[in-house]
Amino acid sequence: MVTHDDVMAIARLSKLYIAEDELDEMTKAMDDIIKFADTINNAADEGIEFDNINNLSNSFRTDEVVTSYDREEILKNANDIDEGHFLVRKRV
Amino acid sequence: MAESLIKKYSDMLKNKEITCVELTEKFLTAIDSANKDLNAYVTVTPETAIETAKAVDKKIADGQTLSPLEGIPMTLKDNISTKGIDTTCCSKILEGYKPIYNATVWDVLSAQNAVLLGKTNMDEFAMGSSCETSYFGGAANPHNINHVAGGSSGGVASAVGGNIAVYGLGSDTGGSIRQPASFCGIVGLKPTYGAVSRYGLIAYASSLDQIGPITTTVEDSAIVFDAISSYDKMDSTCTGRVGAPVTDTLKNDIKGMKIGIPREYLEGIRDEVRVCIDKACEVYKSLGAEIVYFDLPALKYALPVYYILACAEASSNLGRYDGIRYGYRTSSYKDVNEMICKTRSEGFGGEVKRRILLGTYVLSAGYYDAYYKKAQNLRGSIVRAFDNAFKHCDVILAPTVPMTAFEKGSAISDPIETYLTDICTVPVNIAGLPGVSVPCGFGENGMPVGMQIIGNKFCESTVLNAAWQYENAVGSEVFKSSEYGIKL
Repeated sequence: MVTHDDVMAIARLSKLYIAEDELDEMTKAMDDIIKFADTINNAADEGIEFDNINNLSNSFRTDEVVTSYDREEILKNANDIDEGHFLVRKRV
Repeated sequence: MAESLIKKYSDMLKNKEITCVELTEKFLTAIDSANKDLNAYVTVTPETAIETAKAVDKKIADGQTLSPLEGIPMTLKDNISTKGIDTTCCSKILEGYKPIYNATVWDVLSAQNAVLLGKTNMDEFAMGSSCETSYFGGAANPHNINHVAGGSSGGVASAVGGNIAVYGLGSDTGGSIRQPASFCGIVGLKPTYGAVSRYGLIAYASSLDQIGPITTTVEDSAIVFDAISSYDKMDSTCTGRVGAPVTDTLKNDIKGMKIGIPREYLEGIRDEVRVCIDKACEVYKSLGAEIVYFDLPALKYALPVYYILACAEASSNLGRYDGIRYGYRTSSYKDVNEMICKTRSEGFGGEVKRRILLGTYVLSAGYYDAYYKKAQNLRGSIVRAFDNAFKHCDVILAPTVPMTAFEKGSAISDPIETYLTDICTVPVNIAGLPGVSVPCGFGENGMPVGMQIIGNKFCESTVLNAAWQYENAVGSEVFKSSEYGIKL
């Protein structure tokens, strides 16, 4: 059974705020989904750990130095910048 | 026989029946009119489109040869990065975000002078099955605008089904290409995991996400797949297509082909869908294929396994949205932590928050073994079950969705109900297989029904060959054009 406290604890880990008026609905939805997810615990586990779907192994290549993005380009989408840096100002 | 729209328009350009600028303008005008009803496009890019069209016209005037997709008007789902063009994942948190680089698939297509008409609507961060979680409102079904287009690539499907794009690229994490293609009566291909580069695709669940084409015909699907399925050093999981181009083997005879139907796929589907699947089996038998029914019990757990793994990966992938480097930022906060929490809480919609919370829950101490690890091990069981199935059959046939497109607003209130629409599509993503949805009839309300042809890894040729043979045999019986858009 998922409780309000569980949802608030998970929200903290997820860096999300759940408003008081959202809490009941979110807790119910989470509880329903977790009950649904619980059905996997009825399945027999073959005990074989899963690695990846295509049996991929690391494919190494020569490390090449290439031109990277211009600093100005990277900063274009930022909300606030100062002297070539991302900035978070205090705003209360 | 379903005529390739890409070839048709390409021939018109080559034969100088129409210029590329004229063709592009016709599509842009059609978007202006149809998008009011369909809400398929969230960004339209007329300047880019006309500029490319002029370059194509110049090549034609100079007598140069055109590549298959050159000058063909198309669209991209709004989670595929396009340099300098809004790429929002239909989320408030990415509103106004303009990537500084292109996704590889767009680099490949733009190098061929594909004419980008705009970016199309989707469920927020590809999380949804109806397109209704989009921050910009959902896309409508071109066959009945009171019904959903499906999701999450609902905008691409609505645009292609509504004849306001010749083809489009979507992404498929649990059915997001195949399900809307089925709802809109068109063709949607989810390629093998690793066949097409995902570099520049904004990640939802990286071990499941795959880019693929949404088209009107199977031949068009093959043409687009061939164009985008090459090795990419920017995506470490991408090996590219294996073998010859799919278009070379598309029209091979399928006499003696063994088509398997796992009985689990037929449980709980609506009668109207079952009738269409049974009719498709009869068509395949008439083409000389053999239908084999068998059990695939591992499928029973595919849906909960999918939601546990996809949400776990999403909770990690969406951790990057903090309002610092790009995207929405809240207006007032007292410290960095509050800024990040408020930004995320105001920027993400309800479904995205639910999935982040679920993902964090199944990865947290105390629950990891019971949910995430168990789901990973069951994923292995499902992969092995499919490997074994393909020792006994060449392809698998299944419904794409257990029902036809539902009415807008009818499923969004109940998450589990919505998740159940993915029950037939998620196994393909879990096992990394290729699957194509093709139209196979109509439901009682006249809405399209789709079926999936699923193949072994990197067997897109076999899958599309089987789909083409069906499409060729039934012709226009299972396809109807919507009232919207361009019909030249």
